[in-house]
Amino acid sequence: MARSWKRCIAGALALVSLLAGPAAAWQEPGEKLAAAADLKKLSIEELMEIDVTSVSRRAERLNEAAAAIIVITQEEIRRSGVTNLPEALRLVNSLHVARQNQRTWAVSARGFNIPTANKMLVLIDGRSVYTPLFSGVFWDVQDTLLEDVERIEVIRGPGATLWGANAVNGIINVITRPAADTQGGLVTAGAGNEEKGFGGVRYGGTLGETGHYRAYGKYFNRDSMVLVNGSDARDPMWMGQGGFRADWKTAGPDGRDSFTFQGDAYTGRVGEPTRDDSNVDGGNLLGRWSRTLSEDSNLELQVYWDRTHRYIPDSFEEHLDIMDLDFQHRLPVAERHDLVWGFGYRHHADRVENSRTIAFLPAREDFDLFSLFAQDEVSLLDDRLVLTAGTKLEHNDSTGLEVQPSVRAAWKASDRRTLWAAVSRAVRTPTRIDEDFVAFLPNGEVLLQESPAFESEEVLAWELGYRIQPHPELLLDVAAFYNVYDSLRSQEPPAGRPFPITLANKLEAETWGLELRSNLQPVQGWRLQVAYAWLDKDLHLDPDSRDPTRGVAEGNDPEHRFLLRSSHDLPGGLELDGWLRHVGELPSPAVDSYTELDLRLGWRASDSLDLSLVGQNLLNESHAEFGPATAFREEVERSYYGKVTWRF
Amino acid sequence: MALLRKILILLLLMAAPLRAQAPEYDLKAAFLFNFAKFVEWPASAFDGERAPLSICVYGEDPFGPTLDAVVQGERVGERSLLVQRPDSLDDLEECHVLFVARSQKDRLRDVMAEVEDKPVLTVADMDGFLRAGGVINFILEGSKVRFLIDQEAAGRSGLQISSKLMRLAVNTGGR
Repeated sequence: MARSWKRCIAGALALVSLLAGPAAAWQEPGEKLAAAADLKKLSIEELMEIDVTSVSRRAERLNEAAAAIIVITQEEIRRSGVTNLPEALRLVNSLHVARQNQRTWAVSARGFNIPTANKMLVLIDGRSVYTPLFSGVFWDVQDTLLEDVERIEVIRGPGATLWGANAVNGIINVITRPAADTQGGLVTAGAGNEEKGFGGVRYGGTLGETGHYRAYGKYFNRDSMVLVNGSDARDPMWMGQGGFRADWKTAGPDGRDSFTFQGDAYTGRVGEPTRDDSNVDGGNLLGRWSRTLSEDSNLELQVYWDRTHRYIPDSFEEHLDIMDLDFQHRLPVAERHDLVWGFGYRHHADRVENSRTIAFLPAREDFDLFSLFAQDEVSLLDDRLVLTAGTKLEHNDSTGLEVQPSVRAAWKASDRRTLWAAVSRAVRTPTRIDEDFVAFLPNGEVLLQESPAFESEEVLAWELGYRIQPHPELLLDVAAFYNVYDSLRSQEPPAGRPFPITLANKLEAETWGLELRSNLQPVQGWRLQVAYAWLDKDLHLDPDSRDPTRGVAEGNDPEHRFLLRSSHDLPGGLELDGWLRHVGELPSPAVDSYTELDLRLGWRASDSLDLSLVGQNLLNESHAEFGPATAFREEVERSYYGKVTWRF
Repeated sequence: MALLRKILILLLLMAAPLRAQAPEYDLKAAFLFNFAKFVEWPASAFDGERAPLSICVYGEDPFGPTLDAVVQGERVGERSLLVQRPDSLDDLEECHVLFVARSQKDRLRDVMAEVEDKPVLTVADMDGFLRAGGVINFILEGSKVRFLIDQEAAGRSGLQISSKLMRLAVNTGGR
């Protein structure tokens, strides 16, 4: 079944790629729209593999959205050769991704990037993977079978109105394929000099007449990174993970209810250079019910439970449970008006075992968050102008009520030109690292004390964007922003003494920047992407602040980033991909700029077998991406691996 | 939380490079033509062995010129294909394939009564169509077009639906 299915896709793609159909509005270069007269040549199975371009009256397209949004597809992930999620995010040039050591990545959009970056909201299948410890993400444990990822959506700029607190600088949304799209078996295995061994297995089948499921398992064993002097950083890592997903619908021709039930569990071990290994493990279960009320009205209810455990010897240990419930209802309230409203509740229970160097006080914390939101979208002037306005009201145990409104407008100047603008307010609410974190000096003195008065950080973001497709094979996307931050975190020592430091909100900042992206397809079978991002920022402390760091600890951001990717389909089922990226120097702590190149040669040997050879970070033997320039700074090494993918 | 995602599913259909795409009703027109190939009508449904097979659209036509373009120059067996847009209920029994447009949803009962037990393959894309006695109903699964078949209704109309088409239908264990 899987094989014939794949042949159908191959057939459809082969045929469709030959078509020179009438150019419709907004295609990504490289995409082909099938002409009606050619559709009839396809078999019914092939027709079933074609995507509908406009689903409903309201079907809006990526390129008409009033937000800086980019999507990484499964195909791009596959052809990039990346082996994990944070590395896949490097495909988005407007994100700064820096690896500090084996288990630590810093990932952020529009500045304020540090390993504990706290201004991005990250979701995997609707489940927030943020840790309330610092409102950021432990990237080492965010994983899934990459072959099952359908796409990763990255939105730069605030998304708090719909998504809630901490979506200050952006949202990363990882979406896995429905179980119906991962039927049959898949086995992958690979090995290389850094990725010493990795493999995955997945099997998908049907559940009764209207349901599908899949289950997967994966494992990897990764070599240590390297220190500046070339010696081994002694931090190898392995991790095993398994999971499942089931999707089904109520039976009968009018089944309007659909359900999803999914979960994952993982365990892993990370080497630590100067102490025992760290352990990480966790799991989650998520259920979702959605009911279609009419063509443009639906309900959705989602509930999940997420448990994580992290043990870093001589430092801290954390057990965290998160329960979350979200409800949303979409309904057309009047002609031209489309309303979405919803509410949510989240409870987290955090239990920390403290050490003599750092502590979270109190060690246990229970936290409740309630939210309510509404957003209305109005289409005006023959749908040429779309205005969106909404707000989120959120109540949390720490700062009480937070209001996060936004107003967006998209002007479709023509079918191939969209101008958009947005103004939004978003907050980053206090976390345990802001309020409860205590650090001790070796002699037992308190270096950093609790800061119960810490308040929410705020941003007022102004955005402007323009997308144009002057030719079917060329797309240009420009976004500019000006963000005004208030009440950012500052470190305040007492008068006349260097410590104990208290955290306060005495830092203000403005950031501004530009993000450019162009996709083009010069000839059939060769796709190029060029992207450039520029960021500048200005930090200033309140007059009564004594912060000795002048605020630089809150973000270490490159001013320039550049990306060039080429995807070439060669005869004989060969694929050649090249990926050049440049990241400008980081100011503090200083890290040199670097340029790196990845290459991938893939061969679709048959319908069921793929082989690939990948070289990563080929231009330097090793390069640093983040962290203070000590002898212990870890560097990313040049690496190679080979991989086999078998489907049945 | 998951709500923007839902909207984004719609937003992002254009994202995948080299993914085959077509407007919804172009695709459905191609399906309609394909259905005709997998259904056997009783001989009595035609005026003769070479009489054309008639595909009708009743109600506000969502296909535009596409359906005509799709069937143009095509044959099913010996029969040429003819697209018709009947104005009155009385003409419906002349159809072999009848697509009932959404504009007829409120009058569905009358429309179906007209073709009841007649060898007409009724197709639509609206909720409740099979319950109202229809044979094939289109649905969308994500961005893909799928269809449901009521084999009993087909049997009552004297139509034989090939097992291949049955296999591909959503409600009969197809993919």
